[in-house]
Amino acid sequence: MKINQNSRRDFIATTLVAGATLAGCATKNPFTAEEIPDVKPSGEMVKLLSVDGEIIEVDKAFLKPVPELPAVMNTAAREGIAGKKFVMVIDLSRCKSVKKCQTACNHMHHIHPGQNWIKVYPMQEAEHTAPYWQPTTCMHCDEPPCVKVCPVDATFKRKDGIVLIDSDRCIGCRFCMAACPYSTRVFNWEEPKIAKEIADKPYSCETSVPQKVGTVGKCDFCPDMVRQGNLPHCVSACPNGVFMFGDLLEDTVTNGSETFRFSELIKDKAGYRLMEDLGTKPSVYYLPPVNRNFPFENKVESGEEEKKA
Amino acid sequence: MKPYLKPKAMRMKNIFKIIAFVVYLIPTVLLAETVEKNTLVLGVKYYNDNNAVQHLVISAKSKIDGKFQKIANIAVKVFITSDADKNNLIGTGITSERGEFILLIPPAAKTEWAKSATQNFVAVSAATKLYEEARGEATITKAKIKIDTADGKIVNAKLLVLTDSVWKPMTGVEMVLAIKRLDGNLNISETATYTTDSAGAVTGEFKRDSLPGDSKGNLVLLANVIDNDIYGNLSAEINVPWGKPLSYTTNYNHRSLFARRGHSPFWLEFLAYGIIIAVWVVIIYLVFQIKKIVKLGLE
Amino acid sequence: MDKLREDKIIADLLPQEFGKQGKIWVVCLLFFAALGVFAYGRQLYYGLEVTAMRDYASWGIYISNFVFFVAISLVGSLITAVLRLTNVKWSTPLTRIAEIIAVSAITFASLIIIVDMGRPERFYNLFLHGRLQSPIIWDVIVITTYFFISLLLLYFPLLPDLKIMIGFKERNGKWLQKLYVFLGSFWKNKAEQFKITDKAINILAIAIIPVAFSIHTVTSWLFATTYRPGWDSTNFGAYFISGAFLVGAGGVVIAMYIFRTHYKLEKYITDDHFDRMGKVLVLLALLYLYFNFNEFLVPAFKMKKSEEDHLLGLFTGEFAPIFWFAIFTSMFIPIFILLFKKGRKPIPAFIAGILVVVGSWFKRFLIVTPTLLHPFLPMHDVPANYHHYIPSWEEWAIAGGSLAGALLVITFFARIFPIIPIHETILETESHENEKHF
Repeated sequence: MKINQNSRRDFIATTLVAGATLAGCATKNPFTAEEIPDVKPSGEMVKLLSVDGEIIEVDKAFLKPVPELPAVMNTAAREGIAGKKFVMVIDLSRCKSVKKCQTACNHMHHIHPGQNWIKVYPMQEAEHTAPYWQPTTCMHCDEPPCVKVCPVDATFKRKDGIVLIDSDRCIGCRFCMAACPYSTRVFNWEEPKIAKEIADKPYSCETSVPQKVGTVGKCDFCPDMVRQGNLPHCVSACPNGVFMFGDLLEDTVTNGSETFRFSELIKDKAGYRLMEDLGTKPSVYYLPPVNRNFPFENKVESGEEEKKA
Repeated sequence: MKPYLKPKAMRMKNIFKIIAFVVYLIPTVLLAETVEKNTLVLGVKYYNDNNAVQHLVISAKSKIDGKFQKIANIAVKVFITSDADKNNLIGTGITSERGEFILLIPPAAKTEWAKSATQNFVAVSAATKLYEEARGEATITKAKIKIDTADGKIVNAKLLVLTDSVWKPMTGVEMVLAIKRLDGNLNISETATYTTDSAGAVTGEFKRDSLPGDSKGNLVLLANVIDNDIYGNLSAEINVPWGKPLSYTTNYNHRSLFARRGHSPFWLEFLAYGIIIAVWVVIIYLVFQIKKIVKLGLE
Repeated sequence: MDKLREDKIIADLLPQEFGKQGKIWVVCLLFFAALGVFAYGRQLYYGLEVTAMRDYASWGIYISNFVFFVAISLVGSLITAVLRLTNVKWSTPLTRIAEIIAVSAITFASLIIIVDMGRPERFYNLFLHGRLQSPIIWDVIVITTYFFISLLLLYFPLLPDLKIMIGFKERNGKWLQKLYVFLGSFWKNKAEQFKITDKAINILAIAIIPVAFSIHTVTSWLFATTYRPGWDSTNFGAYFISGAFLVGAGGVVIAMYIFRTHYKLEKYITDDHFDRMGKVLVLLALLYLYFNFNEFLVPAFKMKKSEEDHLLGLFTGEFAPIFWFAIFTSMFIPIFILLFKKGRKPIPAFIAGILVVVGSWFKRFLIVTPTLLHPFLPMHDVPANYHHYIPSWEEWAIAGGSLAGALLVITFFARIFPIIPIHETILETESHENEKHF
């Protein structure tokens, strides 16, 4: 079958005005992939040059990467992206506790010094079992205990599976911190020192920036990055490809350089989730720390870390 | 790990910091000329998406503490062919926090673009307080990918390169065949890359059975040339009905203990409102009894 | 009963102006309350940073204090409702003491929970955006309800006394007279009025029991609805309520002793009252001990990995001194004292009451803090001071200030209203006399 190349998708030219070679082709074809429901034509056309030297016009909303994406409204941020279900896979067999994930996350979210949204735990279940590194993010549980107890809808579960915090709503009761079995939540005990570059940015629960005193914060799966088609900061920062992120409904996860079919990866490597017995149904899956070709070196325990500080 | 300071001490420390900063500033201002600046590296990458949208990604990085770091807020001018002629300016931009920005190739570049099969892009940044002036270049040969499918879920892609104003097939170029996904693209089979044959073509078999597509089962196939020294980044895409139609349900609107306000389970609402009403009816009744006592007293 | 006796009772029980001791007491309380307000001012200015609470010990002595206040407020329902419904007559002089303790404690429980909030100015969000699924909302609802029921239970029996007090215009002074007139000028001792109040008090005595059980059960659920070791217990509601009755009864014994000696009320709060309250305390302490055994022995028998650190921390570890202090002072020693008839004399009973209350306060601290410092995943990637919790002076000042505030409310109440119901005491004496005649 002949499929039209002038396919209409989220970032491809919609109306080709001056493109003489392509003009006249049907713009609709039977197998048009559906657009992301959130993306609507803006009506603002951008002129650009094609490889054939023709001038074409493209609706700005369909360009990817979108040049500058305004922060979504609070209501949209609370609902989330329809038709998505975000998951993360953390491959423990690759983690050497380089902590680039943590650094990038702290930097991009302007987290209070000393606090971390991502923690890299040195784990050892029992005396004779193998030690390994276990990075933890927010688990974005499907039945989140933190959301259950929030009295004011300040933390909420979205359509796309992300659990977010609205720091404009949070009353700072810290019940969610007590409820979270993964100790993933942190509290802004003091007025955060707001860096210049974010000082005039409006707060959005999708960016979690700027932090607000007296409210709770935690890993947000970087929905602002995801909206722009980028990976969360921890995923792109990890040099060992430990973190993989994707859409469960697409059955794909990626760490930026490698892309896997989620179901196959979990099946082949026997993926699991943390504290399954609690019934929280996390969105973060772990691959067991098998076949590691590097030693487990705990610098904190041997005191090297302290000396550095 | 930094030593954690007590809040009070921290505030004191801040005052010292300010003093130290002021002291530091004096010579800085006076001797601004002599301060050693960091070298900046500008990167230019060319992208041709689906033979339509052409853009450049300009990135800025610098070696700080022995490591390359992304540099934000660098103003960059971008020229086609060369920066010698001011008319060749095709755009300007400022690097974001991720140390890069995107520049769509504008219609203004049309004349220069038409001149040759190879194109040169030059990015130039002026010296700033912290960084020396920098320039980065990219030279590409115009190329495009044609993608098509055949029976048996076979993907055919062809690389065409502009040679003497004719699009000719090119051999020996690595190409990726993949399915477009949210963030990364999933290869159509276990084969990571394909190399174009003498006809400039690659052929791959789609082996991702029952991979979820959209609601009709459509998938977007991609043929990519990634970071090629000569051709840059090329992509072409095509829609195929090879996926599994996606059907998903969300419990977003279900009533549950973890749902939002107004979506609590019915049993909880009945229980809670039942108890509240029962008790408060009693309280209100008793308040009316007080009123009755008052009335009796005033008689 | 002759008129003279009645006049004597009234003269004995009318509220009195503060003496020298009373003034010193009030000034001390005002000082501590002011210190608390000052510390809270600092907290408002700098944020919760001034506390020693951090990401692991995310709740501290504010929440302990909250639980303590809710616990002690339960005594209102114990003395007034449970004893009234079981036809226990000797408790009549104690009802108002119990009720004012309840009202003032529940008021400060709500205040301390606002103090604990990171964003107290957003308190209105609880009403604008309240989620019925959250136990905090349940707590807000039941505490409000309990507050109003307790107020009513304080008010109805006060009406006949107000009439008596309005009769002492000169003694009262302008402002108090105005207050009494406003609150009770309509009370005319009419039979119909008594009929209504008697019925109302009976309804309240029944209604307050489930509400009182709810406030403390829901408060226990703030902990028991989480997964954490030490909190994840189905025993928690009953455990909390039994502990609450114990600390409440202890509080009443302390108040009884202080009012008795200070206002010379030996004829009204008799040695017999201490004897009986002492027995009640023993019973409640044994009950609480039973729940403690359940709460610690059963998980300790299994020693699940997640519980192990927490339990060992209490039994032999970091928290062992406080743990054993609390167990001994709130249960074993008072039981030991009060088991003997001599131990139920006013002074030893008073000491036992203090032990119970102090021990119970630390028990609340142990309910909150050790659990938070034993999370499922080990404490990691945080500054060193996040691993421990030693309350800051601001926290102590605020917690102390709230206790002083609660005592101030009780003190001023006793200054304004008769702390022992005059009218009911007269009635009791009358019926007592009548019994003698026949």
